[in-house]
Amino acid sequence: MILALCLIFAAGLLVYVFAPGVVFERVTDKSRLAFLEERKQVVYENLRDLNFDYKAGKYPQEDYEPLRASLEAEAAEILAEIDALNVHPTAWSPSSL
Amino acid sequence: MPAFGSFALILALALSAYCFLAGSFALRQQAVGIPSDRLAETARRAGIATWIAVAAAAFALVWAALNNDFSVAYILHHTNRDLPTPYKFAALWSGQEGSLLFWALLLSSYGLVLRLRHKVDVKLTAYASTILAAVQIFFLLLLNFAATPFSMVRGAVPPDGNGLNPLLQYPEMVIHPPMLYLGYVGFAVPFAFALGALIMKYPGEKWIHITRRWTMVTWCFLTCGIFLGAHWAYSVLGWGGYWGWDPVENASVFPWLTGTAFLHSVMMQEKRGMLKTWNVWLIFCTFMLSILGTFLTRSGVVSSVHAFAQSSIGEWFIWFLGITLVVCCFFYIRNRDHLKSEHRLESLLSRESSFLFQNLVLLAACFALLWGTLFPVLSEWVQGHKITVGPPFFNRVNIPIAMFLLLLTGVGPLLAWRSTSWASLKRNFTIPVIAAVATAILLMVFGVRPWEDAAHFYSLMAISLCALVTATIVSEFVRGGRVISRHTGQNLLASMVTLTRRNTRRYGGYIVHFGIVVIVVGLAGAAFNQQKEQELGSGERMELGAYTVVCDSYSQDDTANYEMNYAVLNVFKNGNPLGQMFPARKFFKASQQPDTIVAIRSTPLEDLYIIYAGLNQDSNKPIIKVFINPLVSWIWAGVFVLIFGTVVAMIPPMAAAAVPQLQTVRAVSMPVPVRSDPVGAGD
Repeated sequence: MILALCLIFAAGLLVYVFAPGVVFERVTDKSRLAFLEERKQVVYENLRDLNFDYKAGKYPQEDYEPLRASLEAEAAEILAEIDALNVHPTAWSPSSL
Repeated sequence: MPAFGSFALILALALSAYCFLAGSFALRQQAVGIPSDRLAETARRAGIATWIAVAAAAFALVWAALNNDFSVAYILHHTNRDLPTPYKFAALWSGQEGSLLFWALLLSSYGLVLRLRHKVDVKLTAYASTILAAVQIFFLLLLNFAATPFSMVRGAVPPDGNGLNPLLQYPEMVIHPPMLYLGYVGFAVPFAFALGALIMKYPGEKWIHITRRWTMVTWCFLTCGIFLGAHWAYSVLGWGGYWGWDPVENASVFPWLTGTAFLHSVMMQEKRGMLKTWNVWLIFCTFMLSILGTFLTRSGVVSSVHAFAQSSIGEWFIWFLGITLVVCCFFYIRNRDHLKSEHRLESLLSRESSFLFQNLVLLAACFALLWGTLFPVLSEWVQGHKITVGPPFFNRVNIPIAMFLLLLTGVGPLLAWRSTSWASLKRNFTIPVIAAVATAILLMVFGVRPWEDAAHFYSLMAISLCALVTATIVSEFVRGGRVISRHTGQNLLASMVTLTRRNTRRYGGYIVHFGIVVIVVGLAGAAFNQQKEQELGSGERMELGAYTVVCDSYSQDDTANYEMNYAVLNVFKNGNPLGQMFPARKFFKASQQPDTIVAIRSTPLEDLYIIYAGLNQDSNKPIIKVFINPLVSWIWAGVFVLIFGTVVAMIPPMAAAAVPQLQTVRAVSMPVPVRSDPVGAGD
């Protein structure tokens, strides 16, 4: 009885493992564009937080302006590279990541 | 069923070995451009099947416990026929072999979720799955060859088992180990993702985003486990306190400290691309400290109240820790270029530096705790005799560190990223500093004398710093709420709720900080503890503080599971009756071990804690010990706040409202037209 139970259990698991069907996810590398999109979202979030804290009166103008300028410069660099990649999608190599 | 359980464990080992080998091979093939998606899929499925096999083994062990199958040595040694059913179920994690099986079950369960959610990033998840399979192999090797839970009893099977250790026969003990283990095991997931990201040189910080909820859930479980353990010690061990710096207690705090540091410092990596090496090593260390914690709990290498877990599997853990360290070092050295920071620390007065200080302080606390915990073992190796490190060492070192940490908890959120000006400091710190100073003055007015006693000094410091942190948290909520209120017309309270829903991570984090504040207030109460011990015959009384305890009667009881001595005490406060309390002492028949049943009357201000310490054989009177422990219930209340904050922080944020004013991003040196994407305020 126990032997039969063990055999059925093992057979069930082996069928599940080795008969995965025909539809499965492909393992792909992340593109530079996807990486830049992630970076863009992070910088935008930082800008949103900074603006919100400024409106909440947490930072004086003299602190806020340079912080905002540096984040905007960072965002601009990322946007410029995204645009360049959209125009010339082949101008990218994995080593540039 | 035992035979089926053994078979399931062997099958689980084979499946996890396949998951590791096939997964590694598939990733290697893909790295050189050979498609091997089908092989990778079978590896993933083998990982899922491992969970089924381990769960079947755990089911077989619980089945044996519930059916009193004393032919299984583990069941014989950890249960008996009269043991209540919930404790029979808890037998799964009450002993060495069962708890290792439980470890393997939790690890495979985490692995199951990870593998089912592989679409979030197929390649990174494949790496993490392979690494988790390697960890799983270690635990399954242990279970199959070193600590087998299905070993059979040799010779005649006894009619009844030895019973469960009385210290474990307490409702919280049914959930304390699972919580702690969920915490320990859970750190394997961010570890696997971090190591996988390092091996594959994963571009960007998305692995942190993927593992953020894993880490928070794990951290929350570990926190619950630690405080459930403290509550168990308080309610069961009967020495009047909740934390005795026991080595196994300390072991649970190591990964908590480094895990807390990791939760904070990853924000610097996410937002600023900094501290990449630091973060990777923090999570590596957190995982290794989790393994070390399991090793200390399970090996019996250090003397502990958790002596029910002693065994000789220490060498396996040392080897595993060694191999893990070598693997981490190897991949770090090979791929360390990938971990270069994108930015530098611009100012000492910045959010980044506060995180860095906070991390260093947490690590200092972890090192001090580790040193004090392992010193007896190290001293025995070096000098041949054991030098014990007691609570005074831990208190002297860790309390000042905790004070500094509390200060940083208050200061950090008020500092800006990159740099903060003195004007900003003045603007943000005026109210919190006034709150802290006012609290200190109030405490001194009400009788706290910091110049007379170190305990009073630290208590005053702690509560004043708690006022500072609370003021910063309140100011964050009020300021943010006002902005929302201006734009939406909601009242301030509703605006603060909206604010929290829009940025659950940040404001959930503040709620967690407030939970820590409440806990620290509770801990600070220990400076004002009082205690008294006295023989108390019928009609006799003892007084402590405002309380009077009068012995009404004392007697004995006998059940199938235990004999019990108890006292019936009438309790009064300032002469007003509060009711009766029943401290007791049990003696369990099957295990031949005593156990203390503490009587506790808890209020927000203080606990009245009474122990039946024993029976004086000469006078035949019970010995009663009474403690007044101020503010203890704040500790348990703080844990609930902390859990609530963690849950809030894990909820996905509500989408921000439409941006009222579009602002154009300026172009910099790139000679490409820049898109004018809106970058608006978060309100």
